[in-house]
Formats: sequence, structure tokens, C-alpha cells
Amino acid sequence: MTRMTRRQFLRASGTGVGVLTVAGLEGCATSTGEINPKAGRRVVVVGGGWGGATAARYVRAADPSIEVVMLEPNKTFVSCPFSNLVLSGVRGLGSLTFGYGGLRDSGVKVRHAAATAIEPDTRRVRIGDGYLVYDRVIVAPGVDFLVEQVEGLAAAQDTVLHAWKAGPQTAELAKQLSAMPDGGAFVLTVPPIAYRCPPGPYERICQVAWYLKTNKPKSKLIVLDANQNIVSKAALFRAAWQAYPNIDYRASNKVVRVDPGAREVTTDFGDKVKYDVINLIPPQRAGAIAVQADLVGADKRWCEVDHVTYESAKHRNAHVIGDSTIGLPVPKSGTMANAMGKICANAVVNLLNGREATPVPPVNTCYSWVSDREVIAVVNAYKIENGKVVQVEQKLTPGQSTVYAQHAEGWAKSIWADVLGNGGVA
Amino acid sequence: MSRARLGLLLVLLVLLGAPAVSRAAGPLDQPGYAKAVTCAACHGASGNSRSEAVPILAGLPPAYFKKAIEDYASGKRLSAEMEPFAKQVKLLGVDEVAAFFAAQRREPTPVRPERAAVERGRAAAAQCASCHGPEGQGDAAKMVPALAGQPAAYIRNQLLLFKADKRSPGDEPLTKMKAILKPIPDATLADVAAYYSSLR
Ligand SMILES: Cc1cc2nc3c(=O)[nH]c(=O)nc-3n(C[C@H](O)[C@H](O)[C@H](O)COP(=O)(O)OP(=O)(O)OC[C@H]3O[C@@H](n4cnc5c(N)ncnc54)[C@H](O)[C@@H]3O)c2cc1C
Ligand code: HEC
Ligand code: HEC
Repeated sequence: MTRMTRRQFLRASGTGVGVLTVAGLEGCATSTGEINPKAGRRVVVVGGGWGGATAARYVRAADPSIEVVMLEPNKTFVSCPFSNLVLSGVRGLGSLTFGYGGLRDSGVKVRHAAATAIEPDTRRVRIGDGYLVYDRVIVAPGVDFLVEQVEGLAAAQDTVLHAWKAGPQTAELAKQLSAMPDGGAFVLTVPPIAYRCPPGPYERICQVAWYLKTNKPKSKLIVLDANQNIVSKAALFRAAWQAYPNIDYRASNKVVRVDPGAREVTTDFGDKVKYDVINLIPPQRAGAIAVQADLVGADKRWCEVDHVTYESAKHRNAHVIGDSTIGLPVPKSGTMANAMGKICANAVVNLLNGREATPVPPVNTCYSWVSDREVIAVVNAYKIENGKVVQVEQKLTPGQSTVYAQHAEGWAKSIWADVLGNGGVA
Repeated sequence: MSRARLGLLLVLLVLLGAPAVSRAAGPLDQPGYAKAVTCAACHGASGNSRSEAVPILAGLPPAYFKKAIEDYASGKRLSAEMEPFAKQVKLLGVDEVAAFFAAQRREPTPVRPERAAVERGRAAAAQCASCHGPEGQGDAAKMVPALAGQPAAYIRNQLLLFKADKRSPGDEPLTKMKAILKPIPDATLADVAAYYSSLR
């Protein structure tokens, strides 16, 4: 990221989130020094995605005497879950886009600005030249991309898309796919673990393959997977792929170079693969602000936390939730970020009131659409043992079905409302 | 609040010797609140699911709730989604979680079934009233759940499971209901589901 221009950085973050910029400040563009000195106790939430928005709402729900300020540069929330259906044309991006009105209704002060730095020692979150003081900060910036790990990618981000943060890139990739001539090759690359949403790339493979089979039957989908096998729900995805002979799946093929001029990617074995449309999902790490704030571990990628309170292992009074975390035996999913948001919010409220946090384990479910109407799921249950989250069980649906599709729709409706408040959901 | 007024307020607080922070009893004091918090991801706020196929948990009688959790955990009620969570709830303490949902006010589903289906379903539902009540309100003492206002697709899916004896097979108290359901065509069951879902 060090060599990137500001424009490239905005591209890389996909939705126009610039940690190094102060773009899009609403109502505080000219603030210098302390912004809104706090009167009582204050929680600052950095990031208004699945984890952060949930946490902000639940702190308010549990104790309305605590002031909650949430920083989120984007004016709208776009759901990554179900965004693979935008590529196949089964859903529109509008049906996945929501406002932050529900959070405001819960009394959360939403500021459309990016945190530019977190200073745990002085308990300050910087927004450009100004800063907010906090009692506790909840950091939920999601993921950022290790663009430099793929040669040629940094300079090619206008055309080589990840669409791994739902938003403009999702719409653009859908356009590229629909403009691809029949007989063309769509190349999709899967990054090495750990990355956001383990089954996500394989769900996307189903959606692109379904679209091609239905609309461009002479085309093929080449998958270059950096991992040795399908990372999640392998047997269920393989069964689903029986319906898509247009998939050419190649495991242990890590992409290390992209050449948009030649429309070609190179794998770590030196194999070159030509494409008409490329969807390159780069390797990932915690959102840049977590790195800046020294919340990441020795790997410089992910943040270790206490499994009961989500307090950082490195800095007191700073909590980290969602995709940025590591060390719990859980996937980087929206369901998980939402669960962590609630558990962390309740812990923060208890701690601010001088009480102990109740140990509560999270839950996980990831539904994946394997066609335009059928869904599979993986479910994980947990317990807390000696202060650590331990998996009790992982279960897969016995197959794919339209009943699970109904459940998936139900999940989406409930969880969007849970993250954003009913007012946020149309 | 301006800085000057804030300063004044702080001075006042100090003079009055009031604690700078105070906290009224909140949701965290409700038993089960913290432990039930993750269920909202599918079952909605306070267990009032707003979608078509995931059941409302608000107001379920604790005994029925606990039986459901037992049946999911043991695999008698087949659900890939609920089986792991049922085991998790048992480890967390099912009594507290059941008590939490029982205490929530039930808000009927906002999903309105088709009027014609509701009318068609009314007649066939007569056979159910002896147990589920004339208004589908259930009978907590007999562990019969309310059907009124549950989402229609959920009710229909459960009826198909009962009919095929896939939900809690061999459960003695359910043999009579299953016998009643057996001859009813699937399309009529969908209508009965619509009827019960429409009741308030
Ligand atoms: C294609 C796809 C499909 C998926 N499908 C599913 C699914 O079906 N089910 C499921 O459970 N999960 C799914 N996921 C995963 C899910 O989207 C993520 O796990 C979830 O978004 C993680 O939540 P989070 O809060 O950690 O991050 P995010 O939701 O990404 O939120 C982070 C927020 O922080 C903001 N931010 C970043 N930096 C700053 C800063 N410096 N200051 C202020 N704000 C900042 C960002 O703008 C962003 O809004 C999918 C993901 C993808 C890509
Ligand atoms: C991923 C979604 C999901 C989550 C999270 C979830 N459930 Fe469920 N739940 C379902 C579905 C789907 C059903 C219907 C399953 C069936 O077909 O029997 C259900 C059914 C139930 C029922 C049966 C209701 C009835 O009327 O018989 C109970 C009780 C229940 N869930 C409790 C819980 C509790 C408690 C939690 C939280 C620990 C929870 N659920 C979390 C999806 C979920
Ligand atoms: C003899 C009594 C009896 C009759 C008659 C009866 N039921 Fe039931 N029903 C029950 C009991 C008991 C349960 C609880 C099931 C369990 O223990 O899991 C139940 C459960 C249900 C459920 C599941 C609700 C939930 O929340 O999961 C549905 C749906 C249902 N009944 C529909 C019907 C319909 C429709 C009819 C008529 C066609 C009917 N029942 C007739 C006793 C009866």
C-alpha cells in the first residue's frame, strides 16, 4: 500500500474508503483539535459494516446513557452477502443497499468520515486534524487487500476487479460479464486462506457458471484456486458443480502476476492463463486502520482478541470484531461479525458499568446460492471453555434445496434489520 | 451542548456530589438477554421473525421451547441449521433462553398470505381446533404451540414434515395430529398454513 496513489487506494478499498484521506467528512470537515468533548461515557465505533453497525446499535440498546459515535465513510451500506447474485443478474444491487437511518433512530451518532488514526494510549480516534476521545473503541474495519502480492495489480485496479466489497465493483464486474462475447473465458482467482467469507468464491463460481450456462453456453469459467482444495462445503459445491460442465477448476494454482495488456495471469508454477474477463480476488488482511493502530499481531495481518470481550490482546480499551480478528476458530462471515458485534457491545456495556462480561459464544451460518433458486448451508456452534471460544459442532445441509433458499432469505431479512435497525431496511 | 454549559453542568454535578455516571436497570439485567442475543440473526428482534419461513419465537411457552431444543439436539427434529444451535443453547442453559423468549411480546408476521388461500384453508382447519384452539392460539399446558400469526411458509414446511412423519417420528402425543394430516393433500396444507398465518 505504501507506493499507491490516493486514487489507487480508493480503488483498492473498493467502496471509496480512504483511510489516509479525509474525504466525505460530514459536518466535521473543518474540525481541528478535540471534536465534541464528551460529557459522559463514550464508545467510538470505527466502521459501520456488519460488525460495527451491530455493535453501535447494541451498545445503545443495552445502555442508552452511553454516547455512541460511529465512523463510516460510506453513506450507504451495501450487503456483501447475496452480492454474488448480482453477477448472475438474479438480484439487483439496489435490493442490497440500505441507509443508516435505523442507527440514527437508535441514538447512534453516525459520522460519515474515516478514522485516520487510533491512539490507544491517549484514547483518541483521529479524523484528519481533529480527534474524538473515547472510553472504549470498537474497531471493525473489515479487510483490505494485499495488492502488492500480485505483480501488476496495483497499476491495473481500474480494470482488474475484486468485487469483494459489495458496491461499484460488483456492478462493474456484472457489466464486464454480460459484455463478454459467447465463447469467452472468465477467469476467477481464489486467494489463499485466511480471507473474507470462505465459501464466497465458490458461491460466486456457481453464479457465474449458472449465468454462462444460461446466457453464453459456449463460454467457460476457469478457476485458479491458491488453496489445495475447495475451502468450505467442498462436497456440496462439487455436487452442485455437476450441473455446470463449463467450470474448469484448478486447485493449487496461486496467481502471482496479472498482465491486463495481454489479458493474461501467471501462476506460481509459471503457467499462463488467458482471459476475456478476470475476477482477481487478492490476498487479504485486517482493515488498514487496524494495522495503523498497532492492533495486528506479528503477522502484520490480523488482530488477536479476548474471546469473551473482544478486547485487543495488544491495547486496553480497544476492541476488535469481525473480519479483522484472528485466533477464534470461526470463519470471517457476516453472521459472525454480527454475533461478535452483539456480544462485544454487551461486554463493553458491562465493563463500563463496572461489571463482569457474561461469556457468550457466537453462532455462524453461511448460506450459499448454488443456482438461481437453490441454497446450501454450513452451520457452526460454539461454547466458551476456559475463556476461549471452542467449536461444538459443524454441520452441513444434507444437500441443496429451495427450502434452504427460503431460510436464506429469512436470514438476510432478519440480519440486515439486526445490523442496521428496522429503519435502515426498506 | 456548548462548552460553557457543559462546564456549568459538571460543576453542578461535583457540587451535588452526584456520581458522574449512573445506570438504570437495562436489558442486560433481564435473564437470558445476553444469551439469546445471537438468535436474532435469523429469528428477528426479540424473536419476532419478519420473514416467510423462519418461525417467530416470541411468546413460545417454555416447555414447548425446551422440547423443540431437545428434539433438534437429538436429531428427532431434523434441521441442519438448528441442530448445532440447539446443542449450543443446552450448554448455555436452555431455561434462561426459553424464559427470555417466553417473556417477549409476540408480533404476528407482517407477511400477508393470499386472501383466496386463507379462505380455502379455513374449512380444513376445523379439525385442528380441538388442540390448537379456535383462534389458533395453542394450549401451553398441553405443549401445543400457537399457530396464529406464524409465517405461512414455516407452517406449511412443518405440516409437510409431520405428514411424512419426519418431524419427531414416533412421538406418542403427535400420532393423532399426524393421522389427521395424512389424507390432506399438500396444496390444502398450504392453504391451512395461509389461514393460520392470517389469524391475529
Ligand atoms: C461476495 C461475498 C459474499 C458473502 N456472503 C456472505 C454470506 O452469505 N454470509 C455471511 O455471513 N457472510 C458473507 N460474506 C462475508 C461478510 O460480508 C463479511 O464477513 C462481513 O462484511 C464482515 O463484517 P465486518 O464488519 O468485519 O466488515 P465490513 O462489513 O466490511 O465493514 C467494515 C466497514 O468499515 C469501514 N471502514 C474501513 N476502514 C475504516 C476507517 N478507517 N474508518 C471508518 N470506517 C472504516 C468500511 O467502509 C466498511 O463499511 C460475504 C462476503 C463477500 C465478499
Ligand atoms: C441460521 C438461522 C438460525 C439461527 C441463527 C437460529 N435459528 Fe432457530 N430456527 C431456524 C430455522 C430455519 C428454524 C426452522 C427449522 C425447522 O424446519 O424445524 C428454526 C426453528 C427454531 C425453533 C422451533 C420453533 C417452533 O415453533 O417449533 C426454536 C425453538 C429455535 N429455532 C430456537 C433458536 C434459538 C434459541 C436460537 C439462538 C441460539 C436460534 N434458534 C438461532 C434458523 C435459525
Ligand atoms: C391432538 C392434538 C392436535 C391436533 C388435532 C392437531 N395438532 Fe398440531 N400440534 C399438536 C402438538 C402437541 C404439537 C407440538 C409438536 C411438538 O411437540 O413438537 C403440534 C404442532 C403443530 C405445528 C408446529 C408448530 C410449530 O411452531 O412448529 C403445526 C404447524 C401444527 N401443529 C398444525 C396443525 C394443523 C394444521 C392441524 C389440523 C390439520 C393440527 N395441527 C392438529 C397437537 C395437535
